[in-house]
Amino acid sequence: MVQVVFEKVSKAYGDTVAIPGLDLTIESGEFVSLLGPSGCGKSTTLRMLAGLEQPSSGSIRIGDRDVVNLAPAARDIAMVFQSYALYPHMTVAENICYPLKKRGVAKADRAIKLAEVAALLQLEPLLARKPGQLSGGQQQRVALGRALVREPSVFLLDEPLSNLDASLRAHMRAELIELHRRLGKTMVYVTHDQLEAMTMSSRIAVMRAGELQQFAPPDEIYNRPANVFVAGFIGTPAMALAEGSLADGGGHLVVHVGPLAVALPYAAAARPAAVTVGIRPEDVLVGEGPWQAQVRLVEPTGYETIVALDAGGLALTARVPGSNALRVGETVAFDLRRERIHLFDKSDGRRWEPAGR
Amino acid sequence: MKKRPAWIVSLITWPIVLVIAFPLLWMLITSVKPAAELFSTSPTLLPKAITFEHYARVLQDTPFLQYFANSMILATSTTVVVISISVLGAYSLVRFAYPGRETLASLVLFTYLLPSVVLISPLYLMLVSIGLANTLASLVIAYTTFALPYALWLLRSFMAGIPQDLESAAMVDGASRMGAFVDVVLPQALPGIISTALFTFILAWNEYLYALVLVNSDEARPLTTGVMTMLISAFNIEWSLLMAASVLMSVPLIIIFAFFQRHLTSGFGAGGVKG
Repeated sequence: MVQVVFEKVSKAYGDTVAIPGLDLTIESGEFVSLLGPSGCGKSTTLRMLAGLEQPSSGSIRIGDRDVVNLAPAARDIAMVFQSYALYPHMTVAENICYPLKKRGVAKADRAIKLAEVAALLQLEPLLARKPGQLSGGQQQRVALGRALVREPSVFLLDEPLSNLDASLRAHMRAELIELHRRLGKTMVYVTHDQLEAMTMSSRIAVMRAGELQQFAPPDEIYNRPANVFVAGFIGTPAMALAEGSLADGGGHLVVHVGPLAVALPYAAAARPAAVTVGIRPEDVLVGEGPWQAQVRLVEPTGYETIVALDAGGLALTARVPGSNALRVGETVAFDLRRERIHLFDKSDGRRWEPAGR
Repeated sequence: MKKRPAWIVSLITWPIVLVIAFPLLWMLITSVKPAAELFSTSPTLLPKAITFEHYARVLQDTPFLQYFANSMILATSTTVVVISISVLGAYSLVRFAYPGRETLASLVLFTYLLPSVVLISPLYLMLVSIGLANTLASLVIAYTTFALPYALWLLRSFMAGIPQDLESAAMVDGASRMGAFVDVVLPQALPGIISTALFTFILAWNEYLYALVLVNSDEARPLTTGVMTMLISAFNIEWSLLMAASVLMSVPLIIIFAFFQRHLTSGFGAGGVKG
């Protein structure tokens, strides 16, 4: 079984600290996404795991080996690059067989492996072609094939889908999920696309400025974001975030945000002085309710309509099913799913949950 | 842009081609004319009779073949030395970060800007002091010093165009850095290497000044100076032989060009745009 462990790993380029100190344990067989905006250190993390960058300090273990001083070739990993990095002067077959050849696998065995991988990825008709003669999706599959053929213990994928068009991306996402299920290998996947991370991962590591923000399964990342950054970063349209405060409303906890005073179904025990209040669009119920808001923007997507609301200075976003007949400027009543309101301690930005939740 | 009619293009192009090609044509014609016809008072454009006696004389009665061999050895060794150094050097300039990298690259270019004639005396004295005067090796060293900077810059721009991901991929796939260089970088840089090699070969093949100054014996004399000294004396110029020798001298370059012309143009184009 192959666990991947980052222990106090840091990376600095000259005086610029890219990653101050990363602790991360990826369990065997997991599909873990490193997710974050560009420049958050996710690619650097992956490249350090691959051996393409040397960490400034700390240790990285794959299985029971500390790999920091091992060459990429010795780490028993395979990597798929954003640019695919197919060798342009080699045919598809030669590309896929290259890792085997470099490891001294006999020619007959290479042919068997090639046939297996080609069948798995439906590459048989393309084997004699050069990468330049393939479409983006085909190149992508060849790059996957080259990674698969050797059966490494860890797969590294660096934004492998970002160069594909939208429909192909959805298709390849499904294929990757299927592939991971079938192989059961540890996969580390770097992406800035939260949809990819949410749909494929067993766990997501959300990163920002080189620091791990939260490392949890997708539903927990979505439903219980660990801090304001994760809350704002995950979810489209984004969660509405506003400053607010907590008060004791006769035994109940009451959150004051903008002009609203929302009674929450929790006891008013110890609480932070100031909070950031987060409300997801699907938790804003337009139609009936105790509060009024003005419609500022209507974005119909067909299946649902995204509505931007102004509730007396508090900006909210709501999801309304179907094509709605809302008009800009009109005033609507709304309610909130109170138990789903997210609270973050304003002093440190971390999630705060009342006792008994 | 509006497309010009083909006949206008031809009208402009062909005279230019003729002007450029005429001396070469004249060289070819002269080399096959009988000596008597050569100096006739009514010059003929096309020879009345064709003879290969001049070629036979050049090959049999003069040290032409010795010079030819010298030139071959000289141009080939220079090319091998320049390519070996510049391929590795250009790779280092593109891929490795070390202090003074850019300064180094600029200094190299600066040496290319110096006219080669100013280096003749110091170079000659240095070569004498290390005992290489009057050898082919001295010319290989001299040519390397002025072919290398250009080769380095040409190859550098080529290598800069090779995505680093390719090497990273090769290294993850099991290659060492040197293995990745050989398996991935070299094939990608091949057009650049070919055009750089051609440039170096032609330079070494055609060079005259250094060959004249540095080498003074028939054993080490290349074609350029050899042909001149054997056929041109103060009293007489053997035109027919000179032309025949010139034609023979051009043959290797023509053959090489025919094979690699495509790479040469693409190579110079890429170097120009990216450099």
